[in-house]
Amino acid sequence: MSDAEQPGLYVESTVIMTTVRVVTPFILTFGLFIMFHGADSPGGGFQGGVIAGSVVMMLAFAYGIEATRDWLDSRLVVAIASFGVLTFAGIGLGSILLGGTFLEYHRYPIEKASKYGIELVELGIGGIVASVIIGLFFVIAAGFGHAIDGGDES
Amino acid sequence: MPTTVELALLVFVLGCAVGAAVLRDVLASVIAFAAYSLGISIIWIVLQAPDVGLTEAAVGAGVMTILLLLALANTSRPSEDHRFESISLRTAIVVVVFVAVMASTIPALPAIGGPDNPVVDGEVSQYYLDNAYDQTQVHNAVTAVLAGYRGLDTLGEAVVVFVAGVATLSVLRREDFA
Repeated sequence: MSDAEQPGLYVESTVIMTTVRVVTPFILTFGLFIMFHGADSPGGGFQGGVIAGSVVMMLAFAYGIEATRDWLDSRLVVAIASFGVLTFAGIGLGSILLGGTFLEYHRYPIEKASKYGIELVELGIGGIVASVIIGLFFVIAAGFGHAIDGGDES
Repeated sequence: MPTTVELALLVFVLGCAVGAAVLRDVLASVIAFAAYSLGISIIWIVLQAPDVGLTEAAVGAGVMTILLLLALANTSRPSEDHRFESISLRTAIVVVVFVAVMASTIPALPAIGGPDNPVVDGEVSQYYLDNAYDQTQVHNAVTAVLAGYRGLDTLGEAVVVFVAGVATLSVLRREDFA
């Protein structure tokens, strides 16, 4: 059931590989821009995270899903997702520790704490969304034989 | 009265929605659904909701399509002789009646961008528009509400996404994503 056994799912194309190689940095930058600049323009963590996550999907389309799976460190994907949740929850609960209410940015003794706090929260959301989407992509691409047969396929 | 662009968008979106429902080939249905999402995202832009439009374009038209296509690639797709799903009369009547009931509520909605809309003179939205920058130091009022005033809700949403990933892993009995 793995993709390597299915001929025709991946077609190596110089045009697609070159295009992806050129376009990737711009899309990643755009995703991060949407994520950070969501404070002042349309966008935010959810949208930017999806765009940043789609970079990995593009790489998978250009270079093959299995090759991208080998290249990607799965621990990093899980780490970013967990880090996002911890960042958001940590910022929210931290202001309670400082004597305020949940997510009361002004309690943090930094200048413009609210602005930077919101941007950090957006970054956390972006991390969660990007890594979960990348994860779902690879999990679904691996097929479902794994769950049905009890784990001798991958 | 809707403009030509809005009418064209509405026709496009309705056509794609009907196509996604009645096309028998699942691949064609997925493509129609992606086109539908793209049309809806442009409609959000027309309705002055760029944040929602961006989400719809990225998630609905982009990632959702990729995930559905991947799922299709991992399942067998029977080749069909018929292009369209056969529609039973009873189902058609129920759907038409339901749509008619829903459509009958449309005239009760306030005009888009009208000066008398409840949103315009609503106390809550005016409060956000007046105080969002002073209180949260961000210009985008949507972000101010999302990560500031309604931050707890957003934490819930973010955790839902995280839990969706965890749930998929546990259902498919895998220990890591990649």
